Amino acid sequence: MENLYAILPILIKVAVVVAVLLLLPLPLVWLERKIAGHIQQRPGPMRVGWHGLLQPVADGIKLLIKEDHIPSDADRFLFKIAPVVALVPPFVVFVAIPFGEPVEVFGTQLMLSLSNMNVGLLFILAISGIGIFGIILAGWASNSKYSVLGSLRAIAQMISYEIPMAFSVIGVVMLSNSMNMMDIVSAQKNLWNVVYQPIGFFVFFVSGLAEAQRIPFDLPEAEGDLGAGYHTEYSGIRFSLFMLSEYLVVVFLGFLNVILFFGGWHGAPPFVPETVWLLLKVAFFIWVFMWFRFTFPRYRYDQLMAIGWKVLLPLALLNILISGLFMF
Amino acid sequence: MARTVQKKQGWIGWLFFSDMWSGLRLTLRYMFSKTVTHQYPDHEKWLPYSRHRGHHFIKTNEQGDVNCVGCELCAKICPCDCITVVPYEDEKGNRRPKVFDINLSRCLYCGLCEDACPADAIKLGQEYEVASTNTGALVVHLEDLIAAPRKAEEGAGTVIPASLKKNGSAKTTPQDNVKGHDWWQLIRREK
Repeated sequence: MENLYAILPILIKVAVVVAVLLLLPLPLVWLERKIAGHIQQRPGPMRVGWHGLLQPVADGIKLLIKEDHIPSDADRFLFKIAPVVALVPPFVVFVAIPFGEPVEVFGTQLMLSLSNMNVGLLFILAISGIGIFGIILAGWASNSKYSVLGSLRAIAQMISYEIPMAFSVIGVVMLSNSMNMMDIVSAQKNLWNVVYQPIGFFVFFVSGLAEAQRIPFDLPEAEGDLGAGYHTEYSGIRFSLFMLSEYLVVVFLGFLNVILFFGGWHGAPPFVPETVWLLLKVAFFIWVFMWFRFTFPRYRYDQLMAIGWKVLLPLALLNILISGLFMF
Repeated sequence: MARTVQKKQGWIGWLFFSDMWSGLRLTLRYMFSKTVTHQYPDHEKWLPYSRHRGHHFIKTNEQGDVNCVGCELCAKICPCDCITVVPYEDEKGNRRPKVFDINLSRCLYCGLCEDACPADAIKLGQEYEVASTNTGALVVHLEDLIAAPRKAEEGAGTVIPASLKKNGSAKTTPQDNVKGHDWWQLIRREK
Protein backbone atom coordinates (compact mmCIF):
# COMPACT_ATOMS: atom_id res chain seq x y z
CA MET A 1 0.00 0.00 0.00
CA GLU A 2 2.79 2.41 0.85
CA ASN A 3 4.37 1.66 -2.50
CA LEU A 4 1.10 2.66 -4.09
CA TYR A 5 1.12 6.02 -2.30
CA ALA A 6 4.66 6.57 -3.47
CA ILE A 7 3.79 5.80 -7.05
CA LEU A 8 0.50 7.72 -7.19
CA PRO A 9 1.94 11.25 -7.65
CA ILE A 10 4.12 9.96 -10.49
CA LEU A 11 1.16 8.33 -12.19
CA ILE A 12 -0.86 11.54 -11.92
CA LYS A 13 2.04 13.59 -13.27
CA VAL A 14 2.52 11.19 -16.18
CA ALA A 15 -1.19 11.33 -16.99
CA VAL A 16 -1.24 15.12 -16.91
CA VAL A 17 1.90 15.51 -19.05
CA VAL A 18 0.73 12.96 -21.63
CA ALA A 19 -2.74 14.49 -21.85
CA VAL A 20 -1.36 18.00 -22.28
CA LEU A 21 1.17 16.87 -24.87
CA LEU A 22 -1.47 14.98 -26.83
CA LEU A 23 -3.75 18.03 -26.93
CA LEU A 24 -1.00 20.59 -27.50
CA PRO A 25 -0.78 20.17 -31.29
CA LEU A 26 -4.34 21.46 -31.65
CA PRO A 27 -3.59 25.03 -30.52
CA LEU A 28 -0.17 24.84 -32.17
CA VAL A 29 -1.64 23.96 -35.57
CA TRP A 30 -4.06 26.86 -35.20
CA LEU A 31 -1.25 29.19 -34.14
CA GLU A 32 0.98 28.12 -37.01
CA ARG A 33 -1.75 28.67 -39.58
CA LYS A 34 -2.66 32.02 -38.05
CA ILE A 35 0.96 33.18 -38.07
CA ALA A 36 1.37 31.99 -41.63
CA GLY A 37 -1.73 33.89 -42.60
CA HIS A 38 -0.85 37.14 -40.90
CA ILE A 39 2.69 37.14 -42.28
CA GLN A 40 1.11 36.88 -45.71
CA GLN A 41 -1.46 39.59 -44.79
CA ARG A 42 -4.42 37.24 -44.75
CA PRO A 43 -6.43 36.25 -41.67
CA GLY A 44 -5.79 32.50 -41.78
CA PRO A 45 -8.53 30.08 -40.71
CA MET A 46 -11.70 32.04 -39.91
CA ARG A 47 -14.69 29.82 -40.59
CA VAL A 48 -14.73 27.04 -37.96
CA GLY A 49 -15.33 28.50 -34.53
CA TRP A 50 -14.29 31.93 -33.31
CA HIS A 51 -11.42 33.06 -35.56
CA GLY A 52 -11.04 29.48 -36.72
CA LEU A 53 -10.15 28.16 -33.26
CA LEU A 54 -11.88 24.85 -33.93
CA GLN A 55 -10.15 24.38 -37.28
CA PRO A 56 -7.54 21.91 -35.90
CA VAL A 57 -10.39 19.86 -34.37
CA ALA A 58 -12.11 19.74 -37.74
CA ASP A 59 -8.81 18.80 -39.38
CA GLY A 60 -8.29 16.09 -36.77
CA ILE A 61 -11.72 14.61 -37.40
CA LYS A 62 -11.03 14.72 -41.12
CA LEU A 63 -7.74 12.86 -40.64
CA LEU A 64 -9.38 10.28 -38.38
CA ILE A 65 -12.13 9.37 -40.82
CA LYS A 66 -9.89 9.34 -43.88
CA GLU A 67 -8.85 6.10 -45.50
CA ASP A 68 -5.79 4.60 -43.86
CA HIS A 69 -3.97 3.55 -46.98
CA ILE A 70 -0.98 1.19 -47.02
CA PRO A 71 0.87 0.86 -50.33
CA SER A 72 0.76 -2.67 -51.73
CA ASP A 73 4.55 -3.02 -51.90
CA ALA A 74 5.15 -1.59 -48.45
CA ASP A 75 6.57 -3.57 -45.57
CA ARG A 76 3.28 -3.70 -43.70
CA PHE A 77 4.62 -4.35 -40.22
CA LEU A 78 7.28 -1.64 -40.31
CA PHE A 79 4.90 0.72 -42.06
CA LYS A 80 2.39 0.36 -39.24
CA ILE A 81 4.90 0.56 -36.43
CA ALA A 82 6.88 3.54 -37.76
CA PRO A 83 4.50 6.36 -36.68
CA VAL A 84 4.37 4.94 -33.16
CA VAL A 85 8.15 4.63 -33.02
CA ALA A 86 8.40 8.23 -34.19
CA LEU A 87 5.96 9.33 -31.53
CA VAL A 88 7.66 7.73 -28.52
CA PRO A 89 10.92 9.78 -28.22
CA PRO A 90 9.23 13.23 -28.13
CA PHE A 91 7.11 11.97 -25.23
CA VAL A 92 9.98 10.26 -23.42
CA VAL A 93 12.09 13.41 -23.58
CA PHE A 94 9.60 15.22 -21.35
CA VAL A 95 10.44 12.80 -18.54
CA ALA A 96 13.60 14.77 -17.79
CA ILE A 97 12.26 18.28 -18.25
CA PRO A 98 11.51 20.20 -15.03
CA PHE A 99 8.55 22.57 -15.01
CA GLY A 100 9.40 24.51 -11.87
CA GLU A 101 10.77 24.39 -8.32
CA PRO A 102 9.41 21.62 -6.07
CA VAL A 103 6.09 22.61 -4.47
CA GLU A 104 4.51 21.62 -1.16
CA VAL A 105 1.32 19.60 -1.64
CA PHE A 106 -0.40 18.11 1.43
CA GLY A 107 2.81 18.43 3.39
CA THR A 108 4.94 16.49 0.94
CA GLN A 109 7.49 17.75 -1.51
CA LEU A 110 6.23 17.38 -5.07
CA MET A 111 8.79 17.63 -7.80
CA LEU A 112 7.46 19.41 -10.87
CA SER A 113 9.23 16.98 -13.14
CA LEU A 114 8.60 13.34 -13.88
CA SER A 115 12.11 12.37 -12.95
CA ASN A 116 14.91 14.47 -11.53
CA MET A 117 17.76 12.61 -13.19
CA ASN A 118 21.32 13.59 -12.44
CA VAL A 119 22.18 13.04 -16.12
CA GLY A 120 19.02 14.68 -17.41
CA LEU A 121 20.70 16.58 -20.20
CA LEU A 122 22.54 13.50 -21.46
CA PHE A 123 19.26 11.55 -21.35
CA ILE A 124 17.51 14.23 -23.40
CA LEU A 125 20.24 14.33 -26.03
CA ALA A 126 20.29 10.54 -26.26
CA ILE A 127 16.52 10.23 -26.62
CA SER A 128 16.28 13.00 -29.19
CA GLY A 129 18.98 11.11 -31.07
CA ILE A 130 16.87 7.97 -31.36
CA GLY A 131 13.96 10.06 -32.59
CA ILE A 132 15.35 9.35 -36.05
CA PHE A 133 14.34 5.67 -35.89
CA GLY A 134 10.71 6.34 -36.71
CA ILE A 135 11.78 8.34 -39.75
CA ILE A 136 14.17 5.61 -40.93
CA LEU A 137 11.44 2.97 -40.58
CA ALA A 138 8.83 5.13 -42.30
CA GLY A 139 11.10 5.95 -45.22
CA TRP A 140 12.24 2.37 -45.67
CA ALA A 141 8.89 0.66 -45.17
CA SER A 142 6.99 2.91 -47.60
CA ASN A 143 8.93 1.45 -50.54
CA SER A 144 8.76 4.79 -52.30
CA LYS A 145 11.65 6.80 -53.71
CA TYR A 146 10.43 10.03 -52.17
CA SER A 147 10.09 8.48 -48.75
CA VAL A 148 13.47 6.80 -48.77
CA LEU A 149 15.21 9.94 -50.06
CA GLY A 150 13.47 12.00 -47.41
CA SER A 151 14.49 9.65 -44.65
CA LEU A 152 18.08 9.43 -45.93
CA ARG A 153 18.27 13.20 -45.87
CA ALA A 154 16.77 13.24 -42.39
CA ILE A 155 19.33 10.71 -41.12
CA ALA A 156 22.29 12.62 -42.57
CA GLN A 157 20.93 15.87 -41.21
CA MET A 158 20.24 14.49 -37.74
CA ILE A 159 23.73 13.00 -37.45
CA SER A 160 25.38 16.19 -38.67
CA TYR A 161 23.47 18.44 -36.31
CA GLU A 162 23.43 16.20 -33.25
CA ILE A 163 27.15 16.81 -32.88
CA PRO A 164 27.19 20.64 -32.76
CA MET A 165 24.07 20.47 -30.59
CA ALA A 166 25.77 18.25 -28.04
CA PHE A 167 28.97 20.30 -28.14
CA SER A 168 27.09 23.57 -27.68
CA VAL A 169 25.50 22.44 -24.41
CA ILE A 170 28.92 21.47 -22.99
CA GLY A 171 29.44 25.16 -22.21
CA VAL A 172 26.24 25.16 -20.16
CA VAL A 173 27.33 22.02 -18.31
CA MET A 174 30.70 23.62 -17.57
CA LEU A 175 29.00 26.66 -16.05
CA SER A 176 26.60 24.73 -13.86
CA ASN A 177 28.95 21.83 -13.09
CA SER A 178 26.04 19.46 -13.51
CA MET A 179 23.96 17.64 -16.05
CA ASN A 180 20.91 17.82 -13.81
CA MET A 181 18.28 20.09 -15.34
CA MET A 182 17.32 21.54 -11.94
CA ASP A 183 20.96 22.44 -11.23
CA ILE A 184 21.31 23.97 -14.68
CA VAL A 185 18.32 26.19 -14.02
CA SER A 186 19.39 27.18 -10.52
CA ALA A 187 22.87 28.05 -11.83
CA GLN A 188 21.18 30.78 -13.91
CA LYS A 189 19.53 32.43 -10.93
CA ASN A 190 21.46 35.69 -11.31
CA LEU A 191 22.26 35.84 -14.98
CA TRP A 192 20.90 33.75 -17.82
CA ASN A 193 23.29 31.53 -19.71
CA VAL A 194 22.58 33.30 -22.97
CA VAL A 195 24.67 36.22 -21.66
CA TYR A 196 27.64 33.98 -20.86
CA GLN A 197 27.19 31.73 -23.88
CA PRO A 198 25.94 33.72 -26.88
CA ILE A 199 27.84 31.51 -29.33
CA GLY A 200 26.62 28.39 -27.56
CA PHE A 201 23.04 29.62 -27.74
CA PHE A 202 23.40 30.45 -31.42
CA VAL A 203 24.79 26.99 -32.25
CA PHE A 204 22.16 25.27 -30.11
CA PHE A 205 19.31 27.27 -31.63
CA VAL A 206 20.34 26.66 -35.23
CA SER A 207 21.08 22.98 -34.76
CA GLY A 208 17.82 22.69 -32.84
CA LEU A 209 15.98 24.06 -35.87
CA ALA A 210 17.75 21.43 -37.96
CA GLU A 211 16.91 18.69 -35.45
CA ALA A 212 13.24 19.60 -35.61
CA GLN A 213 13.52 19.66 -39.40
CA ARG A 214 11.97 23.07 -39.61
CA ILE A 215 12.58 25.70 -42.22
CA PRO A 216 15.27 26.70 -43.19
CA PHE A 217 16.44 23.12 -42.59
CA ASP A 218 13.38 21.14 -43.63
CA LEU A 219 15.05 19.25 -46.46
CA PRO A 220 13.72 15.84 -45.33
CA GLU A 221 10.25 16.96 -46.29
CA ALA A 222 11.06 19.44 -49.03
CA GLU A 223 7.70 19.40 -50.77
CA GLY A 224 9.14 20.82 -53.97
CA ASP A 225 11.47 17.93 -54.68
CA LEU A 226 10.33 15.07 -52.44
CA GLY A 227 6.55 15.11 -52.31
CA ALA A 228 6.34 15.19 -48.53
CA GLY A 229 9.53 13.36 -47.57
CA TYR A 230 9.37 10.31 -45.34
CA HIS A 231 5.61 10.55 -44.76
CA THR A 232 4.68 10.81 -48.44
CA GLU A 233 2.84 7.49 -48.38
CA TYR A 234 1.12 8.01 -45.05
CA SER A 235 -2.48 9.09 -44.74
CA GLY A 236 -5.15 9.47 -42.13
CA ILE A 237 -4.36 8.74 -38.51
CA ARG A 238 -0.82 7.50 -39.15
CA PHE A 239 0.05 10.77 -40.87
CA SER A 240 -1.40 12.72 -37.97
CA LEU A 241 0.85 10.77 -35.58
CA PHE A 242 3.86 12.06 -37.54
CA MET A 243 2.48 15.58 -37.37
CA LEU A 244 1.98 15.16 -33.62
CA SER A 245 5.57 14.08 -33.10
CA GLU A 246 6.84 16.99 -35.22
CA TYR A 247 4.94 19.51 -33.12
CA LEU A 248 6.11 17.86 -29.89
CA VAL A 249 9.73 18.16 -31.05
CA VAL A 250 9.13 21.89 -31.53
CA VAL A 251 7.69 22.21 -28.02
CA PHE A 252 10.55 20.22 -26.55
CA LEU A 253 13.09 22.42 -28.33
CA GLY A 254 11.38 25.48 -26.91
CA PHE A 255 11.73 23.97 -23.44
CA LEU A 256 15.39 23.10 -23.98
CA ASN A 257 16.22 26.59 -25.25
CA VAL A 258 14.55 28.19 -22.27
CA ILE A 259 15.95 25.84 -19.63
CA LEU A 260 19.49 25.75 -20.94
CA PHE A 261 19.97 29.35 -22.03
CA PHE A 262 17.09 31.54 -20.86
CA GLY A 263 17.08 30.88 -17.16
CA GLY A 264 14.22 28.40 -16.99
CA TRP A 265 11.64 29.86 -14.60
CA HIS A 266 13.96 32.54 -13.18
CA GLY A 267 13.37 36.23 -13.73
CA ALA A 268 9.61 36.09 -13.48
CA PRO A 269 7.87 39.45 -13.04
CA PRO A 270 5.98 39.77 -9.74
CA PHE A 271 2.68 37.87 -9.31
CA VAL A 272 3.51 35.52 -12.19
CA PRO A 273 3.95 31.90 -11.04
CA GLU A 274 7.27 30.34 -11.99
CA THR A 275 5.73 27.59 -14.10
CA VAL A 276 3.58 30.06 -16.00
CA TRP A 277 6.63 32.20 -16.67
CA LEU A 278 8.50 29.16 -17.97
CA LEU A 279 5.61 28.27 -20.26
CA LEU A 280 5.40 31.86 -21.51
CA LYS A 281 9.06 31.75 -22.45
CA VAL A 282 8.53 28.42 -24.21
CA ALA A 283 5.55 29.88 -26.07
CA PHE A 284 7.74 32.75 -27.18
CA PHE A 285 10.28 30.32 -28.61
CA ILE A 286 7.59 28.33 -30.39
CA TRP A 287 6.37 31.60 -31.90
CA VAL A 288 9.92 32.40 -33.01
CA PHE A 289 10.22 29.00 -34.68
CA MET A 290 7.00 29.64 -36.59
CA TRP A 291 8.08 33.17 -37.48
CA PHE A 292 11.32 31.74 -38.91
CA ARG A 293 9.38 29.15 -40.83
CA PHE A 294 7.41 31.70 -42.78
CA THR A 295 10.33 34.05 -43.31
CA PHE A 296 13.16 31.97 -44.71
CA PRO A 297 13.50 29.81 -47.78
CA ARG A 298 15.08 26.37 -47.57
CA TYR A 299 18.83 25.79 -47.68
CA ARG A 300 20.37 23.75 -50.46
CA TYR A 301 21.58 20.32 -49.37
CA ASP A 302 25.30 21.07 -49.66
CA GLN A 303 24.74 24.34 -47.78
CA LEU A 304 23.00 22.41 -45.03
CA MET A 305 25.96 20.07 -44.64
CA ALA A 306 28.47 22.92 -44.89
CA ILE A 307 26.68 24.87 -42.15
CA GLY A 308 26.60 21.84 -39.89
CA TRP A 309 30.19 20.70 -40.25
CA LYS A 310 32.14 23.81 -41.29
CA VAL A 311 30.38 26.52 -39.29
CA LEU A 312 28.46 25.17 -36.32
CA LEU A 313 30.91 22.50 -35.19
CA PRO A 314 33.97 24.85 -35.11
CA LEU A 315 31.80 27.48 -33.42
CA ALA A 316 30.74 24.99 -30.77
CA LEU A 317 34.37 23.99 -30.17
CA LEU A 318 35.34 27.66 -29.99
CA ASN A 319 32.58 28.16 -27.44
CA ILE A 320 33.98 25.38 -25.26
CA LEU A 321 37.48 26.86 -25.58
CA ILE A 322 36.34 30.35 -24.62
CA SER A 323 34.27 29.16 -21.66
CA GLY A 324 37.19 27.03 -20.52
CA LEU A 325 39.56 30.00 -20.70
CA PHE A 326 37.16 32.22 -18.74
CA MET A 327 36.63 29.59 -16.07
CA PHE A 328 40.37 28.98 -15.82
CA MET B 1 6.99 47.93 -47.90
CA ALA B 2 7.35 45.49 -50.71
CA ARG B 3 10.33 47.28 -52.16
CA THR B 4 13.72 46.12 -51.03
CA VAL B 5 16.57 48.52 -50.88
CA GLN B 6 19.95 47.23 -51.95
CA LYS B 7 22.11 47.87 -48.94
CA LYS B 8 25.82 47.52 -48.76
CA GLN B 9 26.63 44.74 -46.38
CA GLY B 10 30.06 44.75 -44.87
CA TRP B 11 31.67 41.79 -43.15
CA ILE B 12 30.19 42.85 -39.81
CA GLY B 13 26.74 42.68 -41.36
CA TRP B 14 27.60 39.30 -42.81
CA LEU B 15 28.80 38.07 -39.43
CA PHE B 16 25.63 39.13 -37.64
CA PHE B 17 23.20 38.05 -40.40
CA SER B 18 22.00 41.53 -41.33
CA ASP B 19 20.14 40.12 -44.34
CA MET B 20 18.29 37.59 -42.20
CA TRP B 21 17.39 40.24 -39.64
CA SER B 22 15.95 42.50 -42.32
CA GLY B 23 13.86 39.58 -43.60
CA LEU B 24 12.64 38.84 -40.08
CA ARG B 25 11.85 42.53 -39.53
CA LEU B 26 9.78 42.58 -42.69
CA THR B 27 7.73 39.51 -41.81
CA LEU B 28 7.26 40.79 -38.26
CA ARG B 29 5.87 44.03 -39.61
CA TYR B 30 3.53 42.12 -41.87
CA MET B 31 2.46 39.88 -38.99
CA PHE B 32 1.13 42.85 -37.05
CA SER B 33 -0.25 44.78 -39.99
CA LYS B 34 -3.85 44.67 -41.14
CA THR B 35 -4.91 41.79 -43.33
CA VAL B 36 -5.89 42.71 -46.86
CA THR B 37 -8.07 39.77 -47.90
CA HIS B 38 -11.80 40.19 -48.37
CA GLN B 39 -13.89 38.12 -45.99
CA TYR B 40 -15.94 37.00 -48.97
CA PRO B 41 -18.56 35.51 -48.94
CA ASP B 42 -18.95 35.26 -45.16
CA HIS B 43 -18.73 38.86 -44.05
CA GLU B 44 -17.79 41.11 -46.92
CA LYS B 45 -18.46 41.66 -50.56
CA TRP B 46 -16.64 43.60 -53.24
CA LEU B 47 -18.75 46.08 -55.15
CA PRO B 48 -17.25 46.29 -58.63
CA TYR B 49 -16.50 49.52 -60.44
CA SER B 50 -18.99 50.82 -63.00
CA ARG B 51 -16.59 49.71 -65.72
CA HIS B 52 -16.90 46.10 -64.50
CA ARG B 53 -18.21 43.69 -67.12
CA GLY B 54 -20.51 41.30 -65.30
CA HIS B 55 -23.93 39.77 -65.89
CA HIS B 56 -25.70 41.45 -68.85
CA PHE B 57 -28.83 43.58 -68.51
CA ILE B 58 -31.17 45.18 -71.03
CA LYS B 59 -32.27 48.77 -70.66
CA THR B 60 -35.90 49.82 -70.95
CA ASN B 61 -37.32 53.17 -72.09
CA GLU B 62 -39.97 55.40 -70.41
CA GLN B 63 -42.85 53.46 -71.93
CA GLY B 64 -41.59 50.29 -70.35
CA ASP B 65 -40.49 48.75 -73.60
CA VAL B 66 -37.02 47.33 -74.01
CA ASN B 67 -34.56 49.49 -75.92
CA CYS B 68 -33.55 46.50 -78.01
CA VAL B 69 -34.63 46.65 -81.66
CA GLY B 70 -33.79 43.06 -82.41
CA CYS B 71 -31.10 43.90 -84.95
CA GLU B 72 -29.05 40.86 -83.90
CA LEU B 73 -25.78 42.78 -84.15
CA CYS B 74 -24.79 41.57 -80.70
CA ALA B 75 -25.46 37.98 -81.73
CA LYS B 76 -23.37 38.52 -84.86
CA ILE B 77 -20.38 40.08 -83.11
CA CYS B 78 -20.42 37.66 -80.17
CA PRO B 79 -17.15 35.67 -80.41
CA CYS B 80 -18.63 32.68 -78.65
CA ASP B 81 -22.09 32.64 -80.19
CA CYS B 82 -23.84 32.76 -76.88
CA ILE B 83 -26.59 35.28 -77.78
CA THR B 84 -29.79 34.17 -79.48
CA VAL B 85 -32.14 36.91 -80.73
CA VAL B 86 -35.46 36.31 -82.52
CA PRO B 87 -37.10 39.59 -83.57
CA TYR B 88 -40.82 40.24 -84.04
CA GLU B 89 -43.11 43.23 -84.54
CA ASP B 90 -44.98 44.28 -81.43
CA GLU B 91 -48.47 45.87 -81.31
CA LYS B 92 -46.99 49.40 -81.63
CA GLY B 93 -45.32 48.36 -84.86
CA ASN B 94 -41.78 48.41 -83.46
CA ARG B 95 -39.20 45.74 -84.06
CA ARG B 96 -38.50 44.13 -80.72
CA PRO B 97 -36.90 40.85 -79.58
CA LYS B 98 -39.30 37.96 -79.05
CA VAL B 99 -36.52 35.80 -77.72
CA PHE B 100 -33.35 37.18 -76.20
CA ASP B 101 -31.30 34.39 -74.62
CA ILE B 102 -27.74 34.60 -73.38
CA ASN B 103 -25.90 31.44 -72.48
CA LEU B 104 -23.79 32.65 -69.56
CA SER B 105 -21.80 29.44 -69.41
CA ARG B 106 -20.38 30.24 -72.86
CA CYS B 107 -20.10 34.02 -72.49
CA LEU B 108 -16.59 35.40 -71.95
CA TYR B 109 -17.77 38.84 -70.79
CA CYS B 110 -15.78 40.69 -73.46
CA GLY B 111 -18.33 43.49 -73.83
CA LEU B 112 -18.41 43.45 -77.65
CA CYS B 113 -22.22 43.17 -77.61
CA GLU B 114 -22.32 46.37 -75.60
CA ASP B 115 -20.10 48.10 -78.17
CA ALA B 116 -22.06 46.79 -81.13
CA CYS B 117 -25.50 47.69 -79.82
CA PRO B 118 -26.92 50.64 -81.83
CA ALA B 119 -29.93 51.12 -79.53
CA ASP B 120 -28.19 51.46 -76.13
CA ALA B 121 -29.97 48.29 -75.02
CA ILE B 122 -27.59 45.55 -73.90
CA LYS B 123 -25.07 46.42 -71.23
CA LEU B 124 -22.80 44.49 -68.93
CA GLY B 125 -23.72 45.17 -65.31
CA GLN B 126 -22.19 44.73 -61.86
CA GLU B 127 -23.51 41.27 -61.03
CA TYR B 128 -20.72 38.71 -60.90
CA GLU B 129 -22.16 35.88 -58.78
CA VAL B 130 -23.57 33.71 -61.56
CA ALA B 131 -22.41 30.34 -60.25
CA SER B 132 -25.02 27.60 -60.41
CA THR B 133 -25.26 23.85 -59.98
CA ASN B 134 -27.53 23.67 -63.03
CA THR B 135 -26.21 24.63 -66.47
CA GLY B 136 -29.77 25.10 -67.71
CA ALA B 137 -30.19 27.95 -65.26
CA LEU B 138 -27.24 29.69 -66.88
CA VAL B 139 -29.23 30.41 -70.03
CA VAL B 140 -30.91 33.69 -69.13
CA HIS B 141 -33.95 35.05 -70.91
CA LEU B 142 -35.28 38.50 -71.73
CA GLU B 143 -37.15 38.98 -68.46
CA ASP B 144 -34.05 37.95 -66.44
CA LEU B 145 -31.97 40.45 -68.40
CA ILE B 146 -34.45 43.27 -67.77
CA ALA B 147 -34.44 42.50 -64.05
CA ALA B 148 -30.67 42.05 -63.77
CA PRO B 149 -28.63 44.54 -61.70
CA ARG B 150 -27.44 47.67 -63.51
CA LYS B 151 -23.96 49.11 -63.63
CA ALA B 152 -22.56 50.09 -60.26
CA GLU B 153 -23.01 53.70 -59.32
CA GLU B 154 -22.57 54.58 -55.68
CA GLY B 155 -19.97 52.83 -53.60
CA ALA B 156 -18.28 51.30 -56.61
CA GLY B 157 -14.91 49.80 -55.82
CA THR B 158 -15.54 49.39 -52.10
CA VAL B 159 -15.89 46.43 -49.79
CA ILE B 160 -19.15 46.33 -47.85
CA PRO B 161 -20.45 44.04 -45.12
CA ALA B 162 -22.47 41.20 -46.61
CA SER B 163 -23.47 37.65 -45.86
CA LEU B 164 -24.16 34.46 -47.74
CA LYS B 165 -27.79 33.31 -47.58
CA LYS B 166 -28.04 29.66 -46.67
CA ASN B 167 -30.67 28.84 -49.27
CA GLY B 168 -28.44 27.16 -51.79
CA SER B 169 -27.91 30.13 -54.06
CA ALA B 170 -24.44 31.50 -54.57
CA LYS B 171 -25.41 35.11 -53.99
CA THR B 172 -24.23 37.24 -51.10
CA THR B 173 -26.59 39.88 -49.88
CA PRO B 174 -25.01 43.16 -48.85
CA GLN B 175 -26.20 44.92 -45.73
CA ASP B 176 -28.37 47.94 -46.37
CA ASN B 177 -27.31 51.50 -45.62
CA VAL B 178 -23.71 50.63 -44.84
CA LYS B 179 -20.86 52.48 -46.43
CA GLY B 180 -18.08 50.30 -47.71
CA HIS B 181 -14.40 50.89 -47.12
CA ASP B 182 -11.90 51.52 -49.87
CA TRP B 183 -9.99 48.29 -50.05
CA TRP B 184 -7.02 49.83 -51.86
CA GLN B 185 -6.31 51.94 -48.81
CA LEU B 186 -5.19 48.75 -47.07
CA ILE B 187 -2.68 47.96 -49.79
CA ARG B 188 -1.24 51.40 -50.47
CA ARG B 189 0.08 52.08 -47.04
CA GLU B 190 3.33 53.49 -48.33
CA LYS B 191 3.48 57.12 -49.34
